[in-house]
Amino acid sequence: MKIKIWGARGSVPSPGPETTRYGGNTSCIQVTLSDGTILALDAGTGIRSLGLALTEEGTRINILLTHLHLDHIQGLMFFAPAFRPSSEIVIWGPESPEASLRDRIARYISAPLSPVEVRELPCDVSFRSAPHSEWQIGTATIQAASVTHRGPTLGYRVTEGDTSICYIPDHEPGLGVQLGSDEPEWISGYELAHGASLLFHDCQYTDEEYPHHVGWGHAPLADALDFARRVDPERLMLFHHDPLHTDDFLDAFHGRAIAGWEERGGSARRVELASERRELEVGSSLAASP
Amino acid sequence: MSNGQRPLELILARNFLTSLSTPGFLVDEDGMLVFYNEAAAAMLGVSFEDAGSMGPEQWGTAFGPFDDEGEQVPLEELPLTIALRQNRPAHAHFTIRSLKGQEHSIEASAVPIRAGEGTSGALVFFWPLGATRAGGPAEVTP
Repeated sequence: MKIKIWGARGSVPSPGPETTRYGGNTSCIQVTLSDGTILALDAGTGIRSLGLALTEEGTRINILLTHLHLDHIQGLMFFAPAFRPSSEIVIWGPESPEASLRDRIARYISAPLSPVEVRELPCDVSFRSAPHSEWQIGTATIQAASVTHRGPTLGYRVTEGDTSICYIPDHEPGLGVQLGSDEPEWISGYELAHGASLLFHDCQYTDEEYPHHVGWGHAPLADALDFARRVDPERLMLFHHDPLHTDDFLDAFHGRAIAGWEERGGSARRVELASERRELEVGSSLAASP
Repeated sequence: MSNGQRPLELILARNFLTSLSTPGFLVDEDGMLVFYNEAAAAMLGVSFEDAGSMGPEQWGTAFGPFDDEGEQVPLEELPLTIALRQNRPAHAHFTIRSLKGQEHSIEASAVPIRAGEGTSGALVFFWPLGATRAGGPAEVTP
């Protein structure tokens, strides 16, 4: 699987000279399978750039939405393939007893927030609730599971052959849980993330910031690392950076993450901070471009 | 991957219970008692960690419960059983006996936990009424 990060920021886009290296676009990751199938994990503002890179006619893409907070869907309105009749787009997301996925997304893609309506999109677009059991997209098996966040929220696991990536960008796994000692069955996201080749996980807050944000649905560094140590991925990519965290701040934060990871018995090479435009090839060797 | 992950709503219910000073039980969709909180442990005289998970026949009899005439309340009449089997809230008054032999007159309210795929368990809260009375020790050790 080839991975490209188009947006790693959380909450709200944060462009500016102080965020050029890690990027200011919100959540979006492109996953390209071995058969060429393209998945987009979330549709934050990063998907706008992904759309501009997909120039071929007849683009077929599956967009897997973790949830419908604005920082995960805001880019949909600016996704170029959605405005081409030759495109086929399937949007997956969490179900809700309140309204269909289409109707909930249409609250954003409709007046007064948008100049166009969902029904006016020229592409072939469909909306599907993520199944409770595994399903197949191209050569990958997809699994979705509800995770601790505010409102219906999913994490995803994409498996191709013996390689799997797990994506849980918004997650507060330590809420009411002893991550270091509770049994795995009581840890949100455990089964989904366990043993993944690459885990993208929420790490929005420092441990000092977190007490002011308990219950907001995001993880502090200590909980992100504790969760990761329990689920033991081959590689950890901390994600969903707080919009107030500048490049310099995140550089230092990375150092703290490495120190915390090593304190927990991990290897420094296995923990990284996600940055926009980063490309990785996830396979048996976990090769990565700088 | 393992197949042992609890549904998120059960995880959140357990988290919720751990934060409360109101005694509460949590059972899964099969009626297995999968957790009770410290407030319940104080009332029952044994921690969940020591008691461990138990099936309906066991939790339904381990601590009584008894009606006003001192008769054991049948399992099928307990609020938790009604919540699970009939998928509706249920409420009752009865007496339970801790492992230390203390009797507690309580009100119990149970609600099913429902999510997208249906009922995944139930919660019951116990509200102690009045003073605790000393009684004989409970007969069943969970």
